[in-house]
Amino acid sequence: MVEWRIVLQTAFDPANNPLNNNDWSFPLMECIHIAMFAMSIGTIAIVDFRLLGLMFKKRTPAEILDATSLWTLIGLIVVITSGLIIFTTDPLSYFYNYSFRYKMIALLVAIVYNYTIHRKVAKSNSSAAVNVMVGGFSLLLWISIVFAGIFYAFTEELHYVGGPN
Amino acid sequence: MSAAQISQAIQNTAYFTALRESGLPYPIILSSHLATIAVFGGLILMTDLRLLGVALKSIPASVVVERTRPWKHAGLLIMLTLGIHLGGAKLADYYDNPYFLMKMSLLCLVFVHAMVFRKSVYRNPAALDDPKGLPRAAKIAACLSMALWVGILSCGRWIAYYERPEENPTAQSQPALGR
Repeated sequence: MVEWRIVLQTAFDPANNPLNNNDWSFPLMECIHIAMFAMSIGTIAIVDFRLLGLMFKKRTPAEILDATSLWTLIGLIVVITSGLIIFTTDPLSYFYNYSFRYKMIALLVAIVYNYTIHRKVAKSNSSAAVNVMVGGFSLLLWISIVFAGIFYAFTEELHYVGGPN
Repeated sequence: MSAAQISQAIQNTAYFTALRESGLPYPIILSSHLATIAVFGGLILMTDLRLLGVALKSIPASVVVERTRPWKHAGLLIMLTLGIHLGGAKLADYYDNPYFLMKMSLLCLVFVHAMVFRKSVYRNPAALDDPKGLPRAAKIAACLSMALWVGILSCGRWIAYYERPEENPTAQSQPALGR
């Protein structure tokens, strides 16, 4: 069995991480992270709004998807990169936090979902009921990921995987 | 009454005290505030990019502006409501926080921005769909809008990192968010 605690401690040294050694770089990285999740989730949300029949009703979902997909991809790349950098500042407390684990699993599901089912339904002429279900699920899933990111900071030590560290 | 006393009085109201001392509601409101950035902030960003002529090019600029408008208004309303709860519950900590004050000033400028460009850009579909290209005013409005919102977002994040120079007992209750 892999000792993740040892692996993470060896791979990342929070004490020597530049982000932990000045006042501005960590918040700056968070700002980039927030701005870019606004771009990635925001563009996906536009497609979701269309699938839900709330916006751009005269355009097809496929057209909205084509118009936004590049910006979604750019946003996702930057948000994941900045997220990984933020992770290295305190890897152990992130790794053993339930909220963080939910976020990682949900993120993986959301990305796969976005590029498979979500994309396929947006590109096809699906019924309104299917559109509403697929768009609604997408919106809720991405919002839950944002929630998990905030709840990480509010999670008590007792809610860590394996109890207090 | 000084600003410190007024903010303390607001923070001490039963409603804001209950919110501040609550377990779950506070992080839920904070998460919703951030989720609103994700869902509705994306609309602002995409409208700005459309006005610059770089994104959503297959949809006419006037259509993007008009169709997203009610949703951006709804988003702003949700965002402000949630923000008032977050700010009110800790106002005694925030009232002299330079990042908080900067954020409030930039928010006021958002309304000024909307008024200034209302006639020339946002309520001017003929100019937006001019086949000769997007008007210069639209591009200026888009750049200013992005600058304002990035500024608001960044100040919002930095509020949590500011510490008053002198000792102050009220400052203790504030957790360092994100760390």
